[in-house]
Amino acid sequence: MKSKSKSYLLNVIFLALLSIVIFSLISGGVINNYYSSILVTVGIAIIMTVSLNLTTGLLGQLCLGHAGFMSIGAYTAGIITKQLQAAAPDFPFAWSLAIALVAAGLMAAVFGFLIGMPALRLKGDYLAIITLGFGEIIRVIIENLSVTGGSAGLSRITRMSRAFSENTKLSSAIQFGIVFWIMVVVVTGIFTLGRSRHGRAIISIRENEVAAEATGIPTTYYKLLAFTLAAFFAGIAGGLYAHQIGILTPRYFDFNKSIEYLVMVVLGGMGSITGSILSAIVLVTLPEILREFANWRMVIYSLALIIIMIFRPSGLLGTREFSLIKVWDSTANWLKNTFKRKENKPKLPFMPHYDVWEDSPVLETKNLGIRFGGLVAADDINLCLMNNEIVGLIGPNGAGKTTVFNMLTGVYAPSNGDIILLGKSIAGKPTHEITNNGIARTFQNIRLFKSMTVLENIKVAFHTRMKYSPVSGMLRTGQYNSEEKGMDIRARELLRVFDMEEVADDNANSLPYGMQRKLEICRALASNPKVLLLDEPAAGMNPIETQELMNTIKKIRTRFSVAILLIEHDMKLVMGICERIYVLNYGHIIAEGTPKEIANNSEVITAYLGIPENEKQEGHTTC
Amino acid sequence: MALFFNQLINGVHVGSIYALIALGYTMVYGIVKLINFAHGDILMVGAYTIVVMVNMLGLHPVLSIAISVLMCILFGVVIEWVAYRPLRASPKISSLITAIGVSMLLQNVALLIFSPTPKPYPIQVNVAPLQFWEIQISFTTLLTFVVSVVLMVLLQGFVISSKAGKSMRAVSEDTDAAMLMGINVNHTITMTFAVGCALAAVGSLLYCMAYPAVSPTLGSLPGVKAFIAAVLGGIGMIPGAMLGGFILGIAESLTKGYISSQMSDAVVYGILIIVLLFKPAGLLGIGIREKV
Repeated sequence: MKSKSKSYLLNVIFLALLSIVIFSLISGGVINNYYSSILVTVGIAIIMTVSLNLTTGLLGQLCLGHAGFMSIGAYTAGIITKQLQAAAPDFPFAWSLAIALVAAGLMAAVFGFLIGMPALRLKGDYLAIITLGFGEIIRVIIENLSVTGGSAGLSRITRMSRAFSENTKLSSAIQFGIVFWIMVVVVTGIFTLGRSRHGRAIISIRENEVAAEATGIPTTYYKLLAFTLAAFFAGIAGGLYAHQIGILTPRYFDFNKSIEYLVMVVLGGMGSITGSILSAIVLVTLPEILREFANWRMVIYSLALIIIMIFRPSGLLGTREFSLIKVWDSTANWLKNTFKRKENKPKLPFMPHYDVWEDSPVLETKNLGIRFGGLVAADDINLCLMNNEIVGLIGPNGAGKTTVFNMLTGVYAPSNGDIILLGKSIAGKPTHEITNNGIARTFQNIRLFKSMTVLENIKVAFHTRMKYSPVSGMLRTGQYNSEEKGMDIRARELLRVFDMEEVADDNANSLPYGMQRKLEICRALASNPKVLLLDEPAAGMNPIETQELMNTIKKIRTRFSVAILLIEHDMKLVMGICERIYVLNYGHIIAEGTPKEIANNSEVITAYLGIPENEKQEGHTTC
Repeated sequence: MALFFNQLINGVHVGSIYALIALGYTMVYGIVKLINFAHGDILMVGAYTIVVMVNMLGLHPVLSIAISVLMCILFGVVIEWVAYRPLRASPKISSLITAIGVSMLLQNVALLIFSPTPKPYPIQVNVAPLQFWEIQISFTTLLTFVVSVVLMVLLQGFVISSKAGKSMRAVSEDTDAAMLMGINVNHTITMTFAVGCALAAVGSLLYCMAYPAVSPTLGSLPGVKAFIAAVLGGIGMIPGAMLGGFILGIAESLTKGYISSQMSDAVVYGILIIVLLFKPAGLLGIGIREKV
């Protein structure tokens, strides 16, 4: 811990020294105007790239319209400073710049929100195209407005390199300082956000959206949050750009500009903040370094791009981070050491209290049914789960078992009937809300957050039980620290129950198959459910693992006091641990009873084994 | 009324070019799920080949066209082999970036060789336009429309009934299963690129007959438009590319005729956004729901 805070301190000192050295080199004239403006361009590119990394890298949604948000910021800021200067010439430029930058960010964020709302319903390449479309529409609109100067552009915006002092060298140095420190703040903000519960929620959407929702993450909210925040920072970058260059033309912000930043993100490594910084530096300076090769430089640039991608397909740094930038941690720790602030008490995740009556069911469905077009996938399903009961849901393939699970967890909205959880109807509610109300599930095909660690997988599920805000996550406040500590303690406790403590820091996808199944159950339990739905937990397990699983399920029931509903084809498991069994066939419940009753039920045997030839001829028909 | 019909005819003219180029995007996307950003630049390769063959080497236009088709196929196949194949197992976004890199490379190499000054396109057809009252149909328009439609019909037939076409559909549906059924996936992908680029060569010819100035960035604009057309119609679907191309071309020229030429891009993107919001997989596309 001590060496950690030492390295944080080093980072701050490094950054401060770097800015001071460059500042004095610029003001002393050693770094001329040309180079100092390249440095500023690098700073702006870093803000753009890191913010785009928030949507593309962390959230995993391809966005091709980032330059559009930059242009909104640039024009907003440019117009504001121009108007302010015209209205009140004595108003200090530094203040009007500050106002303009904040307004630029907010304006871009508003557009990010408005565009994100409809656009984020799409995924992958389609989202890329729709954001490209929005970006281009923004450009065309700016081209046709009079307030923005039309296609001729907005000119005579006060340039930072002139505005702060008569001495242009000093003024350029101040410009560098402003851009540098805004960049540092944005980068650390996104970095720390990425390591908070909100960042984990965003990354879990990238890893597996369905599982994220089922773990209690309001995915729509987090998609919009990431998108809007990215737009906000792009707007600020645009505002800086406007006051660096002094003249804005709509053409500059076309989709090639968006692609330029996307290239930087991918080249640096999607999800790696430091990778983004590195590639922004390389890709801005490379063409400048190659300037003496005149026409060849762009050829070399594009060749370099292709070659790097072929040999390092996941980017320069992949998803790893280069650890010189843990600045905020360092300042916080340094402050803590200086002022001897008391340690934050861990605050354990809030565990909801469920009102359970012994004799009334925890979960009940009434005439539940769903149809897809003309196909009736499930009809008239009446299930009932008592407190602490283990119930099996069995049936031949295609009987509609997983469909029932999907209705219970809100993945599908039922066409008719009702679902009652602890006395309240939850039919048709969004998945994450149902999870918060006490139903957790696992999936037939394992859905883990693969590139996150085992511990992080669990922490995502604590998300809804914690309170600190995104801002508090970015600033690493006391609340952040105590809640994160609490989550850590609870997550490790939970892993200990499943004998998985020693793999806590391994990546989820490096676990053997049986462990992955266990982790999924563990993650479901972390949201502290009252009802646990297990979808074929023994699929793909060998007899020894299945036996172990049976013990685990029994252990879970007593230790976490949950009711368990499980789908399973392994009859040994079902008959061994279930107290009651429902049998589903063609979307209908055909039998209900104790394992013994079910095993001897003739209708069930028919459903599983078919009708003997001789009986068929006697007039039986299959329905 | 005459304005309307003339703009409509213009729209069909550009629309059929977009459709032809869109086929290349759509086929490649259908099979390797890659937005081939370099596809537009294949048009530029085709156009410069014709300029060199006719203007510098003095070859017969028909022979030049044949050479330009071969040249486009060669480029497409080599690009796939060098830049996309090594990344087939990597995340799609990596090959998207190499595609962007290839596009920049082609443009900048062309810039080095041919300079940014546009060169006149040597192939033109000088036949008097057909005239119905005030409505004019130029011979080029007619030729473009007929050639595009014939090629699209041929392509659809090829994909549906030929053995090669069937293997293309199989690979696009499920690469692994196709491989297990004994289909050579590499050959099939190469062939897809070749067919797409051959169509791009014809698209290039038709495009340059309409806008006879050849420059290194010639392919960007029709490339982006055709790509949008492909998405609009439902990317991966051949009839979708045709539909998207015509809708786009007609919307664009009607806007130019009635509103303003500056707004035409906004209208095009607006249509795209609205269609995607209501039909997320494009007009003819079938949305695939993730199975839980």
